[in-house]
Amino acid sequence: MLSYRPGDTVVHRLDPRSKLLVQFGLAVAVVAHSTAPWLVGATLFSLLVLAAARLSPLAVCRSYRIVLAVLAFAPLIAGVALGPPWFRVEPALRSARLVARVVPVLFVSAAYLTTTPVRETRAAVQRLVPGKPGQLLGVGMALVVRLFPVVLGDVREVRDAMLARGGQRRPAWVRARLLAVRSLDRTLARSDRLSAALRARCFAWNPTLPPLSFERRDYPVLAVGIALALSPATALL
Amino acid sequence: MSQQHESVELVGDETVRHFTTAVLIAALTAALSYVSIPLPGALPPFSLQHFGMFFAGLLLGPLWGGLALSLYLLVGLAGVPVFSNGGAGLGYFLGPTGGFLLGFLVGAVVAGAIVHRRVEPRSLSSVSTAIQVAGLLAAVVAVYVVGVPWMAAVTGLSLGRAGATMAPYFAVDVVKAGVAVAIVRGGSLAGR
Repeated sequence: MLSYRPGDTVVHRLDPRSKLLVQFGLAVAVVAHSTAPWLVGATLFSLLVLAAARLSPLAVCRSYRIVLAVLAFAPLIAGVALGPPWFRVEPALRSARLVARVVPVLFVSAAYLTTTPVRETRAAVQRLVPGKPGQLLGVGMALVVRLFPVVLGDVREVRDAMLARGGQRRPAWVRARLLAVRSLDRTLARSDRLSAALRARCFAWNPTLPPLSFERRDYPVLAVGIALALSPATALL
Repeated sequence: MSQQHESVELVGDETVRHFTTAVLIAALTAALSYVSIPLPGALPPFSLQHFGMFFAGLLLGPLWGGLALSLYLLVGLAGVPVFSNGGAGLGYFLGPTGGFLLGFLVGAVVAGAIVHRRVEPRSLSSVSTAIQVAGLLAAVVAVYVVGVPWMAAVTGLSLGRAGATMAPYFAVDVVKAGVAVAIVRGGSLAGR
């Protein structure tokens, strides 16, 4: 499972906004140009990013094995025909070319995940989305990250309690209903307590933002991101 | 000696209440993606992830329900492993099943819009069961309306073939909507 690992690589030191722009730009570029030279170039670029983040491509492939398995399966499904010749190469190749677009995006996204703490992404979102919506998204992200393990603990407790009472003998849909209702009850009780706590602490629309700043090293990365995002425009020239 | 005073604009009580519910429903959606009920034989496990979308639409309406699922997606994009199978990141989102994740957001908004018919949520006790059921079924349909073309575009499958691949899952998701209907009819949400 890929998650943030502290480090001192050049990718760790970049501003999250420039890293987000590169991810976005690469996604736009590979969708706009799904030709073999662009796909090879994008894959080499993503391997360079992984190397800069000191991340093994094999480890990334292991972490994304289910996504990659679905991607690998797609050309087979695309090629299968319900009559002779039973398998058609052309649609399978077309599917394989389209599927190959996802791999560089997966690699670059893995480099982002392992080099960027969630609090920096939260700060980036809060700065990129202006006004009150940005404020709610930023604070909301921070709270979801904090509360997710707690709620997961609640859900697992409910499930364990159900199993301890012989719940596995009940039909699956009854178990699903009980698990969902009990988990929701606990979740809403936590929501009420969080609401009271936020009001008690004078939850305001204008709090202090976590610090973020562009350094000199961010500007070339920003330029790459912008160039990739605008690359579809080259077709107009 | 001069003092500088900066005004503080407090968030309204109703907004705080809807916001915290959205936050906790987002966390619940993430938690439910980790929990599934094993089914007999070779059947795939019964995942509970859809219930986050159902509850968001039913309890919070289109705006706050949409915020709940937006927070879930953003946290996943930021790297917290909240998608199914512990997935996270933009690469996962842009993969073949990313459309179904976006479909959860659309589904919550659609269910909320049908059930509440306005931006601010109203008490579920004032909404007929038929409307709530219609909202849940529309949410399931919305997930596939977004997810199947997305899958077709990413994998290069024809729309028909992608739809045929996902058809068994659609049937299971309709069963999930049925379970959610049982929750609604049981009155567990009526007091909210």
